[in-house]
Amino acid sequence: MEFKYDERVLKPGYTSCLGCGEALAMRLVAQACGPNSIFTNCTGCSEIFTSRYPASSWAAPWIHSLFENSAAVASGVYYALKHKGRMPQVNVIGTGGDGGTADIGLQCLSGAMERGDDILYVCWDNEAYMNTGVQRSGLTPLDADTTTSPAGKASYGNDRPKKDLPMIMAAHGIPYVGVASMGYYRELAPMVKRILQIRGPKFLQVHVVCPLGWKSDPAKSAELARLAFETGLYPLYEIIRGETKPHRPPKDGWRPVEEYLKPQGRFRHLFRAGNAAERITRIQALAAANIRKFYGPDAVPQFAKDAEAKLAEAAKATA
Amino acid sequence: MAAPASAEEKVLVTGNVAAAEGAVRAGCRFYFGYPITPQNDLPEYMSSRMPEVGGTFIQAESELAAISLVHGAAAAGGRAMTSSSSPGISLKQEGLSYLAGSELPALIVNVQRGGPGLGDVRCGQADYFQATRGGGHGDYRLLVLAPHTVQETFDLAYEAFDLAEARRCPVMILTDQQLGQMMEPLVPAPMKDLPAVQDHPWALTGAEGRPRRIVKSFYWRPGELEEFNRRLREKYMRMEKELPRWEEDRAADADVVLVAYGTSARIAREAVDVARGEGIRAGLVRPITLWPFPAAPLAAAARRGARFLVVEMSWGQMIDDVKLSLYGTPRPVDLCWRAGGGVPTVAEVAECIRKARR
Repeated sequence: MEFKYDERVLKPGYTSCLGCGEALAMRLVAQACGPNSIFTNCTGCSEIFTSRYPASSWAAPWIHSLFENSAAVASGVYYALKHKGRMPQVNVIGTGGDGGTADIGLQCLSGAMERGDDILYVCWDNEAYMNTGVQRSGLTPLDADTTTSPAGKASYGNDRPKKDLPMIMAAHGIPYVGVASMGYYRELAPMVKRILQIRGPKFLQVHVVCPLGWKSDPAKSAELARLAFETGLYPLYEIIRGETKPHRPPKDGWRPVEEYLKPQGRFRHLFRAGNAAERITRIQALAAANIRKFYGPDAVPQFAKDAEAKLAEAAKATA
Repeated sequence: MAAPASAEEKVLVTGNVAAAEGAVRAGCRFYFGYPITPQNDLPEYMSSRMPEVGGTFIQAESELAAISLVHGAAAAGGRAMTSSSSPGISLKQEGLSYLAGSELPALIVNVQRGGPGLGDVRCGQADYFQATRGGGHGDYRLLVLAPHTVQETFDLAYEAFDLAEARRCPVMILTDQQLGQMMEPLVPAPMKDLPAVQDHPWALTGAEGRPRRIVKSFYWRPGELEEFNRRLREKYMRMEKELPRWEEDRAADADVVLVAYGTSARIAREAVDVARGEGIRAGLVRPITLWPFPAAPLAAAARRGARFLVVEMSWGQMIDDVKLSLYGTPRPVDLCWRAGGGVPTVAEVAECIRKARR
């Protein structure tokens, strides 16, 4: 998708890292929303790299205040515009990273969704606190090595699976919940344009690669994001007024999770000696459960079923 | 930091790691934090250090959760701590007020950065009022300790829990970005041998076979809260009498007495060297406790006719306490400041000394 400079909502010159998935997704989402939108931003990478004082990349109104309150600020903007009779002509877009959204910002986000405020909230999910130096968040996946979930002799890294934020949002009964990926960046802008036609609270989570935090090749961010989906580890779907629509399955079939894990330094320890193989089996079983949930039991590939069986056997042995 | 085998061993660490290790060796077994620059190496260090000593490291979902986790662990008799930097400390204020109101001991480390608002991640000392006046709602204070070296950061963290438990109040170590992130040699004291959870007479440890205990800061019947506040006031007045701590450097004969803490004190000390080289009798009083503030050495200097120069990285907060210390003996008090991430240079402070003397 090419943009003319004058028409760009997020102008070039921002200082994101090479291969930053958040920057790519943000640029596409901002463009789809257009300049007649008001963006609120959590504290985080995107807030910092688009607003290096005294400059700003934003050609649309933009506001940052605290870490935890992006959704509440968006709600406040919404109420003020509604009072002025300017809703829904203006798009009110709350944004934040995974920490700012799923951890510290969850309370404000839940309030905005529950109240029925006509905003779109977009969570850039790069699966850790990258701005402060790669600390774990509630959306960090199982066994990822971060600075506060270090892998080592006594630990395989983050010992909890990822929090299912989209389903928490869906439980609010809001008209739209979506999970997208920067791996399918061509789908992003049309998707957002479609979402903005829906009135009421809308939540979109976008999986974005962070080469710095994931220790991955910056040239292969999009490819890696696609692998997250193609292995079943990051299911993409939309829930529109209660109806779940999964993303079309990968063209060449589901892939083993190793293909996604191996190119990332944050999972490097899983490919070393010891009980690491068992951990990969565990992750493969998570992927199997995702595929079954969204595509039915017949869609689960044999290698994923094998992993589940192996895991069940091991559980029986310890019991 | 690999745990040194003996007390004689010298290690090179940052101030943040020194605060963490000081707390660990003082028996802290519960660390609850949340990411914010420039203190991240403290929780990062704790995430691998706590499992080593059988302690608990939790990265909470917010600063509010972290301080409340401290509240819970402290109420159960654990030596618990949290750390953060300026904006994150603001978010913890509700918890600090409740800790003080519940008379619970705990350690909070604030590695100050520039403000207000999100500010920046460079050096600052503009949280002085917040730290020394309690910070949250209600009448209370924190015991505020201000180290100026990596070694002192360790030493004060090592001592903090003893002070907190003796006075049943939260203790704050107030450092700054430079102190927190710079490395200096450290000779750590040995590990204290304490149970992870202590059975203080007030701690919630299960009521089997004894009357139940209650930890609260809420008083319902008329007069109850007033009585509690009276008792709190007496406690804090005792602390004001017994706890002020400071260091003097060439202050006894000084015409110009500099008052500075933390990173500013290091710069002020060098500026005193410069001034002394020029024949100006300058000296330094470095408060180590910011609350209770060491008024005595300043009042004494005022009585012998000294002038005062406060050096701080804010546009004037500690200067109020200096002026209050001189109550009854009015003497000129000047301010040498930079704020918003700027750190005063030795030359700037030396020039302030020359001006203050005139």
